[in-house]
Amino acid sequence: MIAASKPAVEIDHISKRYGRTLALDDVAFDVPRGTVFALLGPNGAGKTTLLHILCTILAPDSGTARIDGIDVRKDPLGARRSLGVVFQEPSLDDRLTVEENLEFHGMVYGVAKPVRRARIAEMLKLVELEKWRGTLARALSSGMKRRLEIARALIHDSRILFLDEPTAGLDAQSRERMWQYLRNAREERELTAIVTTHYIEEVESCDRVCIIDRGRILADDAPAALKARHGHERLRVVARDEATRAEVLAAYPDIAAAQGEEIVLRGGGDAFTESFLTRFGTRIRRLSIEEPSLESVFLSLTGRELRDQAAGARERTYEFGKRGGEHTR
Amino acid sequence: MTDHAIRKVERRPAVLGSWATGLYAIWLREVKRAIRDRGQLIGGVVRPLLYVLIMGIGLNPYFRGEIYGEVRFVVPYTYVQFLFPAVIALNIMYTSVQSAVSVIWDREFGFLREVLVSPMPRVAILTGKILGGTTVAMFHGALVLALARFADLPLTLADLATGLSLMFLLAFALTALGVVIANRIRSFEGFGVFSNVVILPLYFLSSSIFPLDPSLTSAQSRVIYPEWLVTLIQINPLTYAIDSLRGAFIHFHQFDWWLGPAVMISMAVAFFLVAWHDFRRV
Repeated sequence: MIAASKPAVEIDHISKRYGRTLALDDVAFDVPRGTVFALLGPNGAGKTTLLHILCTILAPDSGTARIDGIDVRKDPLGARRSLGVVFQEPSLDDRLTVEENLEFHGMVYGVAKPVRRARIAEMLKLVELEKWRGTLARALSSGMKRRLEIARALIHDSRILFLDEPTAGLDAQSRERMWQYLRNAREERELTAIVTTHYIEEVESCDRVCIIDRGRILADDAPAALKARHGHERLRVVARDEATRAEVLAAYPDIAAAQGEEIVLRGGGDAFTESFLTRFGTRIRRLSIEEPSLESVFLSLTGRELRDQAAGARERTYEFGKRGGEHTR
Repeated sequence: MTDHAIRKVERRPAVLGSWATGLYAIWLREVKRAIRDRGQLIGGVVRPLLYVLIMGIGLNPYFRGEIYGEVRFVVPYTYVQFLFPAVIALNIMYTSVQSAVSVIWDREFGFLREVLVSPMPRVAILTGKILGGTTVAMFHGALVLALARFADLPLTLADLATGLSLMFLLAFALTALGVVIANRIRSFEGFGVFSNVVILPLYFLSSSIFPLDPSLTSAQSRVIYPEWLVTLIQINPLTYAIDSLRGAFIHFHQFDWWLGPAVMISMAVAFFLVAWHDFRRV
């Protein structure tokens, strides 16, 4: 393939303003082919705005983006052909069956009938929904709905998949399985997946993590590299007696903090651990080394934890629909 | 088929054929959803029963004037016959507006977005949606026709053909209107608002349940309608649509025969263009 060397997604100095808020401030990065790329940031950071620009339903104020080499502003229909989208809110038709939902998608994307049939079978197998093909989508659990949406986004052989908060609202087991299907899909077909999330533990297994806050890109690298650069290793020590405890606290006044019976030593690395052990090794009861987490990376980059948001107007309307609303689903 | 072959077929460029498939998919979805919506179906069956069998037959004896012992009908038809074409229009109207409501839900719950990120052009999406709503509305209108024998209405094939084409025009125009309304609504308060604010006023002000021209008989001429009512009826486009349906089914016109089709065609074109304009910005 000629285009193999080109990045799957190229984002070039994109800005978007809503009234007085700058939702995206000069965002630029590339997503290499075949990677699982995570966009990590709190609600309102601009992740969804960016995704909507990439899937051509929102125009940026300035800057360009290319999907598979196609400019999303000049040829939106062409760009849409190579991408699959799983939106934040469920977008299945509840009154159609699992198979009909996939069939509908295939038809709308102009997939020829024999190909459509073959792909539907293949995708149902991938997300393990074969048994449910005749079930109305409304009868599925939320985890199953998500899986169906992933299958649907792949029906037209999209090589670039956008997933906006695909695991929000799912239980731990469904979340784990969702990631498993995504990894399987990537193995089977050189898939590039761009995933937004605010669950920090989920991005550990991604190839690249891009941290975004208040419309700006703060970091963009592999998780390990991010941790090495911005994270801190921590030693948790329990001293054998009070005297030692006092001695440790006194020895490292800048980086030591008492937490209950434990002493937490911030910073370090292997050399520090070695020197600590040489001096106190025989007088401590327990020692554990805490690897730097992405949580600490995020904290040190943004100065705060990932926060949550109150339910907006849309959520309330959605609740109305869920309660049975009139002539709705 | 091998995976390689699959990819090859799939990568072919977009042609009109694939748009047609997409349009058909959207149409099919509308129809399938409507069939599975029990509430809507029950409404479509019960409404004509109430209007034709109860209101129509109930008011039948009062729809005539008596001069010196001679019984004459206000219009040369019985009340059920007079009312019957209007009930068809009513059923079409309810269903068209319900499909507008489905546009709102599609928008709020992201299904519309899923279609909007597909390679289908907006105009094909809109056309599929409106044609789907039109089909369902036609079907609900045709349900009323099943009651034709209770209304003592002999239906010839020619009448039926004319009637069905007029019903199609009306259903298309009203569904397009529904989409226009739906695009402008930001907060949704339920279908009841629509039915009370849009459907019923339009229906009652369309000379649907009483004839407008009181000078048809001498007995009736003594009753003079207030001017505001006559004005409202005359500016209501539905008046002319129902009049043309009457022309098709009972060969009775209160206005020029061409007015109805002309009004409906202009409505269909105008609302479709407005809906298209709105849809490009969604």
